Amino acid sequence: MRKVIAVLLLGIFGYYIFALFVNVPFGVRHDNVGQHYLEHSVQETGAVNIVTAIVVSHRGFDTLGEVTVLFLAATGLGAILYDKKGKKRRLQNASLIVKVASKLIYPLIILLGAYVFVHGHLTPGGGFQGGAIIATGVLLMFISYRRFETNHNALSWVESLAGMTFVTIGLAGLIWGTSFLQNILPLGTPNTLLSAGVIPLIYIAVGFKVGAELTALLDNMLKTIK
Amino acid sequence: MSLSPVQFIAVPLFAAFLIPLIGKASKETVKLVPGIVLLYLSYVALNLFPRGLERPIVEHIAGFNPPFGITLYYGPLAAFLTTLVTLIGFVIWLYSYKFIIREPFEKYYMLFMLLITGSTGIILTGDIFNMFVFLEITAIAAYSLTAFLRDKDGAEAAFKYLLIGSFSSTFVLLAILLIYMQTGTLNLADIALKMADVPITMKIFILILFITGLGIEAEIFPLNGWAPDAYSQAPSPVGAVFGGIVVKATIYALMRIVYLMFNFHSVLHFFVIMGVITMLIAEMSAMRQHQIKRMLAFSSIGQMGLVIIAFGLGTEPGVRAALFQMFNHALIKTLLFFSAGYLVFHSGSKHISALDGLGRDKPLTSFFFAFGALAIIGLPPFAGFWSKLYILLSVADAHLVTVVVLILISAVIEIVYYLRVVSRLYFKRETATDVRRTPLSGLAAMGILAVVILFVGLYPNTILDWLTPAARELMNTSEYIRTGLHLNSGLLSINF
Amino acid sequence: MIYYAASILLILIGMYAVLVKKNIIKIVIGLSIIDSGVHLLFIAIGYVKDATAPIYSRPGLEAGQMVDPVPQALVLTAIVIGLAVTAVALSLVIRLYDHHKTLNINRIRKLKW
Repeated sequence: MRKVIAVLLLGIFGYYIFALFVNVPFGVRHDNVGQHYLEHSVQETGAVNIVTAIVVSHRGFDTLGEVTVLFLAATGLGAILYDKKGKKRRLQNASLIVKVASKLIYPLIILLGAYVFVHGHLTPGGGFQGGAIIATGVLLMFISYRRFETNHNALSWVESLAGMTFVTIGLAGLIWGTSFLQNILPLGTPNTLLSAGVIPLIYIAVGFKVGAELTALLDNMLKTIK
Repeated sequence: MSLSPVQFIAVPLFAAFLIPLIGKASKETVKLVPGIVLLYLSYVALNLFPRGLERPIVEHIAGFNPPFGITLYYGPLAAFLTTLVTLIGFVIWLYSYKFIIREPFEKYYMLFMLLITGSTGIILTGDIFNMFVFLEITAIAAYSLTAFLRDKDGAEAAFKYLLIGSFSSTFVLLAILLIYMQTGTLNLADIALKMADVPITMKIFILILFITGLGIEAEIFPLNGWAPDAYSQAPSPVGAVFGGIVVKATIYALMRIVYLMFNFHSVLHFFVIMGVITMLIAEMSAMRQHQIKRMLAFSSIGQMGLVIIAFGLGTEPGVRAALFQMFNHALIKTLLFFSAGYLVFHSGSKHISALDGLGRDKPLTSFFFAFGALAIIGLPPFAGFWSKLYILLSVADAHLVTVVVLILISAVIEIVYYLRVVSRLYFKRETATDVRRTPLSGLAAMGILAVVILFVGLYPNTILDWLTPAARELMNTSEYIRTGLHLNSGLLSINF
Repeated sequence: MIYYAASILLILIGMYAVLVKKNIIKIVIGLSIIDSGVHLLFIAIGYVKDATAPIYSRPGLEAGQMVDPVPQALVLTAIVIGLAVTAVALSLVIRLYDHHKTLNINRIRKLKW
């Protein structure tokens, strides 16, 4: 009965939503703010990756909010699972092959993550993606080595310092420029590593922060046994 | 550094990042941080308020002109609401100072600071997607705070809240997607300008998505199933946070969107009906509650119904009365949650029946509860009287006699269930005495609120003078578009 | 058109899971399926036929050859928000399991809806 009602409700909802999209042509260029970004962002921000330019510069405030949301999730998780302090991860033995291989891959994954967030303004990627890659590296180590432990103290330092760096860069824009998060550094030549003003700095801070936060999240969740 | 509205968002955020580092040095200092931050914010608020009243401050984040960058819009309405959030935040901090003593209290303060960030962000932002981000910040902080006590029911209430909240965020996100698809912009003022060209079916769908999405957080019936559980299972100061800050910010978001984007006279009658239903059902449910905090939660929903009715009138006196009611309700409900928190603490039970005779044992806390109860039911010398009177007057002006009668009926119901609790406090025989004292900081927080409530009740015009420009700002869409986009007045005359 | 239909279908599947399933982990999975559907819908409305990613990685690329970058930027933010909600939801699931020793929502539900 419950299933029938659910299907009916969703059917009506889906029908109406789809009806809205029927008349919208697919794959056609619309006249919107996106076109402005495509044409002017490189001069305005110095980043050749327009998505990065939008995420960090034009809509940098969203990104600050995004970083906050992750920080919030890590904090909330810490508060909700507080009782689990002093607990350990379930001990399980990975095979020798997994252990050796993951030990070999681990530094490479970290390196890849760092590459992705340092080159956020040039190639697809950025702070969030890089941070997530780093966290997968740590997850691999969690899975294969039962006694692999992260340094909680260092993680929370990295988290807080990276977050404060972001806000400080923003406030610096308010002090030396005209508004919050405004670029105060020279833009440089587009398509080189040292370009795009504060974008790489912000993305490096975000990369560190996301990496540390996701690691802490995983660590918190995996602990189940006293 | 010059003062600017962005500090309402950036400073609490910075503090939240800083708290874990301070916590490593000394845990006790952590408790002071939110207080310092909120005092600083009240300083900012006091300085910016006159400037915002004079001329709206439009701040371009990262220096990009709208609609290509995110803007903050600090007009009279935002000035009023941020000041309200700062004030309520400060008393909540004062109250929490001795109330939240359980570990991990530094996490509590971090979440609290982030919640302040989120709600001031909702109020200030001039960009729809940015508003969504801040709504989510507020919501996730609220989920985590609901489960803060780490008991069985807390986790369950939080999970329920999260499920409903996720649906809400999906709807809001879908609405934003449709808006971007149709208008090609995300700036609120720009959307309002381009909304005229959007087909009517699309408009209606977007409106429905926004009402369901934001109505969940704003406690509109039938989307408020999460509220009573979340209010009653969360720690008492958090109940005050929900009633005083979260709901106010979301109602603001909903009303800003409705007034700005939709041709409002056709839509607003719907809000009157929704408000009446919300109010009546909530007041009747409040009547049947046995737990004091659940009763307060339902009463809070009922009051929000009243606010929505007043907003739905679409007249300037109506909007002003709604804002006045929001202000009063934020103060009074916070006071009620504070005193109820200690009443529950002293009696050791959440049930109303356990409160017998506490009026003699804990005179001050009970006095504050009775004070709040009398204020919220709208007895003359208190603040609640004026806002209810103004709402009734503006409803009568709109010739909605049935609604007047229904509001009066619900007011009677309210009197009955509040006085039931107050009479238990004072006229029942004392059952047991609790040796624990109510801490000074808690009493100070309640005292501040009581003084403000009494002051507003005696001199309602001081607040009303601020509210008139705020109401005008919400009503005057073309002015918002003009200042929000820095257009010349000549450009707009074609569209309005 | 098929892209719109598929992503809307994904949203509906997710909602079905949330409404009907009894296992709370499956409900959380449903929530994240809804999120994926909405994100795909965002990307679909930003797509332009035969256009490339909005990165000026080699000389000669022009704005007319690229897809709309705004939905991609918004989705990046939305994904992170979805991740945060999922993380909090899963931590609540862990807590609920610790208290009740079951994942069935019928046996957990004590508070009235």
